[in-house]
Amino acid sequence: MHKNELESRQRFDMRMLFFYAATPILLGLLGLHVLQLQWLEHEKLALQADHNRLNIVPVLPVRGEIVDRQGKGLAVNRIAYQVQLIPERVKDLDVTLKMLSGMLHWSPAKLAYIHKRIKHSRPDRPVLLDDKLQWLQVSPIAARLHHLPGVDVEAGSFRQYPYAGLTSHLIGYLSLARKTDTDDGYLANEFIGRTGVERSYESLLHGSLGYQQEEVDAHGRRISVSKRTSPAMGQQLRLALDVEVQQAASDALGDRTGSVVVLDVRTGEVITLLSKPGYDTNRFITGLESEQWQEWLNNVEKPLLNRATQAAYPPASTFKVVTGLAGLKAGSHLANGHTTCPGYLELADRNLRCWKRTGHGQVALDYAVIQSCDVYFYKLADQIGMAAISEAALEWGLGERTGIDLPPEARGTVPTQRPYMMEAMKNNSSKRDKWFRGETMIAAIGQGTLTATPLQMARLAASVANGGRVLKPLLQAGDEPVLMHQAQVDPKHLKTIQAAMRGVVEKPYGTAYRALAHAAWPVAGKTGTAQVIKMSQDDEKKGYTPEQISRRHQDHAWFMGYAPYENPQVAIAVFVEHGGHGGSDAAPVAAAVIEVLAAQQQRQEAGQ
Amino acid sequence: MIRVLRGMDWILLAAIISLAGLGLVTLYAAVHQGDTGLWQKQFTFWGIGFGAFLVLCFVPLRLFGLISWPFYAVALLLLILVPLVGDVQMGARRWLNLGIVNLQPSELMKWALMLILASWFATREARSIRDLAVALLLAVVPAALIVNQPDLGTTLVLLFAATSLLIAAGLPWRWFGLAVIAALASLPALWHFMHDYQKQRVLTLLDPQSDPLGAGYHVIQSTIAIGSGGLMGKGFLQGTQGRLHFLPEQHTDFIFAVLAEEGGFIAVVVLLLLYIILITRMLVISNRASSRFGSLICIGVASIFMLYITVNIGMVSGIFPVVGLPLPFISYGGSAMVTMLAALGLVMRVSIESRDRIPWQRPGSSLA
Repeated sequence: MHKNELESRQRFDMRMLFFYAATPILLGLLGLHVLQLQWLEHEKLALQADHNRLNIVPVLPVRGEIVDRQGKGLAVNRIAYQVQLIPERVKDLDVTLKMLSGMLHWSPAKLAYIHKRIKHSRPDRPVLLDDKLQWLQVSPIAARLHHLPGVDVEAGSFRQYPYAGLTSHLIGYLSLARKTDTDDGYLANEFIGRTGVERSYESLLHGSLGYQQEEVDAHGRRISVSKRTSPAMGQQLRLALDVEVQQAASDALGDRTGSVVVLDVRTGEVITLLSKPGYDTNRFITGLESEQWQEWLNNVEKPLLNRATQAAYPPASTFKVVTGLAGLKAGSHLANGHTTCPGYLELADRNLRCWKRTGHGQVALDYAVIQSCDVYFYKLADQIGMAAISEAALEWGLGERTGIDLPPEARGTVPTQRPYMMEAMKNNSSKRDKWFRGETMIAAIGQGTLTATPLQMARLAASVANGGRVLKPLLQAGDEPVLMHQAQVDPKHLKTIQAAMRGVVEKPYGTAYRALAHAAWPVAGKTGTAQVIKMSQDDEKKGYTPEQISRRHQDHAWFMGYAPYENPQVAIAVFVEHGGHGGSDAAPVAAAVIEVLAAQQQRQEAGQ
Repeated sequence: MIRVLRGMDWILLAAIISLAGLGLVTLYAAVHQGDTGLWQKQFTFWGIGFGAFLVLCFVPLRLFGLISWPFYAVALLLLILVPLVGDVQMGARRWLNLGIVNLQPSELMKWALMLILASWFATREARSIRDLAVALLLAVVPAALIVNQPDLGTTLVLLFAATSLLIAAGLPWRWFGLAVIAALASLPALWHFMHDYQKQRVLTLLDPQSDPLGAGYHVIQSTIAIGSGGLMGKGFLQGTQGRLHFLPEQHTDFIFAVLAEEGGFIAVVVLLLLYIILITRMLVISNRASSRFGSLICIGVASIFMLYITVNIGMVSGIFPVVGLPLPFISYGGSAMVTMLAALGLVMRVSIESRDRIPWQRPGSSLA
C-alpha cells in the first residue's frame, strides 16, 4: 500500500511536468499565430482595415430641368425623403423589408418588386427602396435606424411633372437603372429617362457623378465625410414647346382621343406635340405600381401610345394636297383642266364613290381641293399612276421618319407598288399579286394602305407653307433648323395648291369654312375624314362593349394646315381618332390653337 | 486570518490583479464610445467576484469534498430540467428561469464536475476500468445534455477539464491514446449530429472568405483588427476596427481583438505572460498541495482557464471555430467574472491549507 502510494505520487509528479510544459507551449503557439498576423500579415490587414473604414461613395447629380419656350417648368426637381438600403449590411433582409413595408404601407406587388431589385443589385451599393416621402412617413424609420442596419433615410430630389397628363408623351418619365443600365456604368440608384425627351436628351439632362470619401462603421453609418468631388448637375433643357398652346389644343380636343401637332414652318420647331389620352407620369415612382401600369397597358384608348409620332393612320383627304401636287408636276391635263363628278366613278368590277352622293358637277383642281371631291382625284390618279403619287408622297416627307428626337417613331406607309405586292405575297393571298387601278385611286384620296403620323402631316403642311423645305422637327428651342430634303416643286404649282387650301377655309363652300373662316389668323388647310373599315365580329372577340364598337366604327377626323396664309408661321395637324368629320370635328381644334397663338403675338406686339 | 494571509500565494494574487487591471483598461477601449455603463458594471462584477474569492479563502477544502456529490446531483437535475422548462435565447435552450435569477445550469455543471472528479480521484487513480468508468459516466451524461442545448463551448470545457483530471489522476497514456483515436474516428458521426450553424462555423473556419458577410464576418473583422494593430499597436483608444463597430461583440467574446489592435503584439505578449504566470502558479500550488484532492482541484481550475484562453484567442485570431467562451478577466460578463474568481479562491484555499505542510504522499508526509 505504502509503495503503491509512493508510486502514485511519482506518477503525479510526472504528469505535473506534462502540465508545466503544455501551458507555455500552447500559449506560445497562440502567441506565434498572433505574431504572424501582426508582423507578417500586418501590411495586408492594415490596408483592409483602412478600406473597411473609408468608403468611396458616389454622389448623384441633380438632373437638369426641362422648361418650355416661355420658361415654364415641365420637368422639375423637388426635395423629399427617400429610403435606401445597402444589401450586404443588412442582417436579415426579409425581416428588414417586412418592417419597412409595414411602416411605408407597401403593396405586396411593390414588396416583391423591391425584393427583385435587391437581388439584382450590387450588395455593396445602396438600393433605393422608396422615395417622394414626407418626413412624417420616414420619421418612424429614422427613429429605428439602429434596429435596421444597412437602411438609410436621406433627403434627395425627385422628378415632378407639373403638366404630367398634358406632356406625358413628349416629356416622358424616368425609372431606376436596370441591369442593362448598370452594365453601361450607371449606378443602381440612378434614375434614367425611359421615354420622351427625358430619354432622348438623357445625356444632356443627367449630369455626372461626384464622389466623396466617407468614414463609415460596419453598419454603414456615416461618421464623417473627408474628400469630395462635386457632381456636375445636368443641363437645363429649354424646349420649343409652348405649354399654353399645348393646353389650348388639349382643351379643344376635350376628352376625345387624338393628337395635335404644331410646328414652326420656318425652323421646324415643335410648338405643340399632344397625344390624348395622356397619363400621369408623376405616378412613376420607385418602380411603378404594377396595377396602374397594367391598367394603362390594357386601356382600349392606349394612353401610353404617342399618337403624334408612333401611330400612323390613313391621312384621308388631307393627302389630296400631295396628289394634287403630283398631278401638277406630272403635267396632267386634268390638273390644268376639269372633269365632271356624278358622285361615283365606274370601274370594271365596282363603283368608287365620291363622299357627296349627288356629285360635284363640273370640277377643276382648286374646286376639288376645296370641296374635297373624290371623283376628281380618282381620275387624276388614274392619269398619272401610282408611281407619281408615291414619289410625291416621299418627296413631301411621308413614308419616312421625320427625325424628331423622340424614338421610336412610326414611319407610316407609302404604298409604292412593289412593297405592297410583297406584302400581299407574304400574306399568301395569291389574288393580291397584282396592283389594281382602283388601289391607286384609293391611295390618291389617302385611304387604303397609305398611312401617316400626325407629325408627318404637320410637317407636310409646313413644307407646303415654306416652299417645299422638309425640315426635321426640333424639340429644343433655338436649335439650328435641319433641312432633311427639298421637294422639287414649281413655285407656280405650289401657289395653286396653297390657294386651293386657302379656299378650303375662305370659301363658303370650303370644308373648313365654318370652323376656320373667322379664325384669328387667315388659315390655309385641308380637312380629311378617314373611313374606318373594321369587322364588328373581330371587335366583339376582343371584348369591346357595344358602345365601344359603335365608336370604333366612326371615321377619323383630320385637319392639316398653316397660318397666317400670307406670312406663314405655324403648321398644324389635328387628328381625332373616331372623331367624325374633318371639317366639323378636327378643324375647330386648329381654330382654338390659332386663337392662342394670335393672342400671344398680340401680347408680344403690345409689349414692344 | 493570519494563516490565510501567510498561506496566500502572492504571485497568483498579483497575476489576478494585473489581469483585472488590463481587462478593465481593454474593456474601456471597447466600450468608451458606446455604453460606458458596461465598464462600471464590470468593475462591480470584479468587486463581487473578488469578495467571493476572499470568502472562499476561508472555507475549508473538506467542505467542498463533502458537498461535491450533492452539488453535482443538483446541477444534473437542473440540467435535465432545461429542455423541459427552459427559456430559449438566441436559438438555444440554455437558461433556467428561477424567478429571481436566470440560471445557466451548464455553467454550474462545469464546476460541479470538476469538484466531483477531483473528489472521486482524491482517493484513487484512474488506472482501473471500474474507477475510470464511473468518472466517464459522471462526465459524459452532462456533456451529452449540454451538447444538445446546444452549447458546444461548455461541452468542450467539460470534456477538456475531465480529460485533464484523468491525466493528472494517472490515466495510462495507452488508454488516452486509444480515446483520442476513438474520438477522431467518431468525428464524422459528430458532424452528422451537429446543428447547421455549428457546421457552418467549422466550415467558415476552414475558409472564412466563403461567407464574408455571414458567419465569416466575425472572424475576418477580428483578424483584420488584430493584424492591423501590428507590433506596436495603434495606441489606446486609437483602434478603428473596434471604434467603428466592425468588430462584433467587441466587449465580450471578441475583446482580444480590441486589445491586439490598440496594444499591438506588446500587449498580446503581456497578456499571454500574465496567463502563463497565472496557470503555472496554479500548477505550483497543485504540486505542493497537502492533499490529493487539493492538487486535483488546482489542475481542474487551471485546465478550465487554459481552455478558455486557448479557445477564445484561437477563435478571435481565426484558427478555431467561433464558440462562445470568454477571455478570462478581460471579456465583459458578470457570471463568468464571479465564477472564475471564486474558482481561484478555491485554488488559493489549497495554497493556504498547504502552508507549512508537507505535500501529500511525499516521503515524510504526515498523511502518508
